[in-house]
Amino acid sequence: MASRTVSKDIITLRGSAAIVSEFFGYAANSILYNRGIYPEESFSKVKKYGLTLLLTQDDGVKSFISGLTSQLSEWLEAGKLQRVVLVIMSKATSEVLERWNFNIETDAEVVEKGVIKEKSDKEIMREIQAIMRQIASCITYLPCLDEACVFDVLAYTDKDTTVPMAWVESDAKLINNPQMVKLHSFDTKIHKVDTIVSYKNDEWEDEE
Amino acid sequence: MIFMPKKLEPFPFLSFCKEPNASKRQGGKREMQFLTPPSRKRRAEAEAEAGTSAGTSGAAASPVSDRRIVLYEQREAVPFQVPRASFGPSDQLMCTYHCRQMVKSEFFVALDTAEKENAEYKARLAALNEQLYKIEEEREKYRDEASFLQQELAASKARENSLQERFLKEVDNSEERYRDQLRRISELEFEIKKEMDSRVAAEQFTETLKETVRELQTKLESLSDSSDREINSLRRELSYVQDESKFSSSKVTAELERTTLRAESAEEEAELLNEQLIGLKEQLDECLTQKGEIEHNHSSSNISPSNGSSDDDKKMIKLLQEELHNYEKEVQEARKLKSSQLNSELLKEKLLEEQSRRERAELELSKLHELQVKAQKLELELTSWKSLLNDIPDIGSYSDIPKKFAELQKEALENMAKLGEITAQLKEIKVAMEYADLSKQRAETECMLAKEKVESSSLEVKRLQLMLASVTEERDRLRKDSSASNKDAGPSDDSRVEELEAALNDKEQMMKEMESSLQEHREMIAHQHAELKLFNDRLTDESKKVKSLERESDRLRHEVALLESKLGHGDYSSSNTKVLRMVNTLAVENEAKQTIEALQAELKRTTERLQAVEELKGQFDAALPEKLIQLKNQIAVLEKREERYKAVFAEKISVFRKACCSLFGYKIVMDDQKRPNGIPVTRFTLQSIYAQSDDEKLEFEYESGSMNIVMNDYTSQTDIAHQIEIFIRKMNSIPAFTANLTVECFNRRTLC
Repeated sequence: MASRTVSKDIITLRGSAAIVSEFFGYAANSILYNRGIYPEESFSKVKKYGLTLLLTQDDGVKSFISGLTSQLSEWLEAGKLQRVVLVIMSKATSEVLERWNFNIETDAEVVEKGVIKEKSDKEIMREIQAIMRQIASCITYLPCLDEACVFDVLAYTDKDTTVPMAWVESDAKLINNPQMVKLHSFDTKIHKVDTIVSYKNDEWEDEE
Repeated sequence: MIFMPKKLEPFPFLSFCKEPNASKRQGGKREMQFLTPPSRKRRAEAEAEAGTSAGTSGAAASPVSDRRIVLYEQREAVPFQVPRASFGPSDQLMCTYHCRQMVKSEFFVALDTAEKENAEYKARLAALNEQLYKIEEEREKYRDEASFLQQELAASKARENSLQERFLKEVDNSEERYRDQLRRISELEFEIKKEMDSRVAAEQFTETLKETVRELQTKLESLSDSSDREINSLRRELSYVQDESKFSSSKVTAELERTTLRAESAEEEAELLNEQLIGLKEQLDECLTQKGEIEHNHSSSNISPSNGSSDDDKKMIKLLQEELHNYEKEVQEARKLKSSQLNSELLKEKLLEEQSRRERAELELSKLHELQVKAQKLELELTSWKSLLNDIPDIGSYSDIPKKFAELQKEALENMAKLGEITAQLKEIKVAMEYADLSKQRAETECMLAKEKVESSSLEVKRLQLMLASVTEERDRLRKDSSASNKDAGPSDDSRVEELEAALNDKEQMMKEMESSLQEHREMIAHQHAELKLFNDRLTDESKKVKSLERESDRLRHEVALLESKLGHGDYSSSNTKVLRMVNTLAVENEAKQTIEALQAELKRTTERLQAVEELKGQFDAALPEKLIQLKNQIAVLEKREERYKAVFAEKISVFRKACCSLFGYKIVMDDQKRPNGIPVTRFTLQSIYAQSDDEKLEFEYESGSMNIVMNDYTSQTDIAHQIEIFIRKMNSIPAFTANLTVECFNRRTLC
């Protein structure tokens, strides 16, 4: 039996930051579509990670997400970003209903010394694909969002990070006694991203 | 001619006895038979046949013609035995023709049998040769197999050596890991000890802090009590000051009114006086002119009529002087009014200061209320934190809580990192263990194979040994046969036998060498078994370590699950993390646009206004200063008038109040207030001049034409309440009530 030679690609800090920030952009779009935050007709299909994903065509949301991903990429290159949280809140009561938590572990050696790592791009894409599939399948277990909702993005950074112009300090927007579901994670050898979704306990489920 | 029988040589053969189963005689014994020895001819023929027969063993001996009775002993049928060729002529043997024929026939028979036996021996020899060839082939095979086995043994040795090296390396690695883990354990234990010590110190510190907290609480309580007392005293003072300020303000206003009235009256009087003065001056001028004319006339006439006019003039002068004096008095009074006005202004300023003080006191009172509320909240927080302190054992002081949280989160992160490392090491160890198991299985299978091969080779060796033994036995037999029939055989048979013996010896040596090598291999295998046992023991130890590590990993996984739950919940350490939110640029942009548009509109309006103002300015630049001065003068005059009016009014109103007080027997204080619903209400506070204490006050509220009494401590007394019930409620007459109260107070005073 012939041995398989797995090809490995060189990954730099900048490349890894680009991969992670791009992933977050697509993940945010997927969450907004699947949770019905914006109407379905405002999304268009694109091919990415070997899947058909949906991207919003709303100019405001587009510009918001593009600005967000560019800032996240900067923080990732500086090794300052610890976590990114996409929060879904009720429009009427501003109550936090869901928290999509993307925890990021950065290899400090790469940030300090600029070491290069190797990993197959296909492997990374496969891991991201698994996460995207899980996000798409989340509607089977997450409670229905019957009311109008809005979203917001929180970034957990190091204490010494300078606050950019379009960002302000905020509270953590926590949920009391949430239910949590851990999704898959992906690793670029420089950044490791773990995904956890926590949601408010549905009253109907509590009664059951 | 007489022929003498010759001595017959003994037969070299044994087969004269015509045994039917001569071919089966190999290895069997013959019976002793007595036969007549063959004739010489037979012996010669046998010798010839023996000479002609090539490479065969049984050289037939010539028939013996010396006709000697020879005992033929049985011989073993050995194919390689060379028949004896030591027949000698026998002169003693006698034979007749008949005997010769018999002997000849017997010889031929023996020859046939010998030939048969020879053929048999040849066949046997061929068979033996074939067997030898086969044996040699088998020997070569065994040699090849032995070499193959040796190669395999060498390969297995090499593999075992490599396995040993791997095992040693793995053992070294596992030992190093074990040592590292031991070091980590010792470090963790050291850290645990440190934490325990720090915990003990923290507990002691908490106790000291609790004591300080208690002391602070007692101090706080004392301070709060003192502050309450001070507040109450301040409130009382404030009320007093307020009352005094009210009184003073009322007095000042009354004085102001008085002074204004006085000033007005003085002004009017001054005007009147001025007019009078002017009139008088005119009169004086007229009088002076008249006087001059009169004097002129008098100078021309008598002195007597001048006395009467001078008396008139004197009277006029006196009158004028009196009027002047009066005017001077009025001027002095006006000056006094001015000074009183100044005093009233000073009093106003004092009033304003006192009002500002009152406002400050009210603000401080409100602040005090807020501080009290805050203090209560802080006390509640203190109790809650104390309960937290009691619940959480590792916390020393309140400020240590966030530090402890940060430390706990750091420890959690470190534990997560350690967990990651340990899981990675676990995985590596598992992989190494699996690899070691696989290699162990491979080694065991190889050992089993080697064992089997060794056993098979040993079995083959045994078989070969047995074959060798059988071959040696046959050789010995053949040797014996050959020694018995040694004479018949030629020198080639000996060489052949020697060659065969040499080959056999070589084979024996080879077998011995193989046996020795087999024994060495067996020793090696035993040694390897012992090493395998050692490795197994080490593997069991490693498996135990792995189990313990698995338990630790389970525990750490549980901790990781807890930390992940905290992560999922969103907890973070505020000491090294901050949460940022991107401002919703969509709304911000809209708001910014709106604000920009509004600001632009305002800009336009202001620019238009500026232009208009500048145009106006351009128009009125010349007349502005004069107008300003005029307006300022008008303002000054009006302010003066207002002040005068105020002074006069204050004076008048104070007079009025005093008159009312003296006439009706009550000091009246008027105060304008606003109810919470915004309706203005005028409150009148009446105090009888016959009151025995300051608490005896009546309060009335005047609202939209109706006067209502306000109940207080004094009016809630039974006597007063009874009077109120009768005079005010039933008869609807406040003056009657006040009059009755005045009479009663007067009676009380006079009686006391």
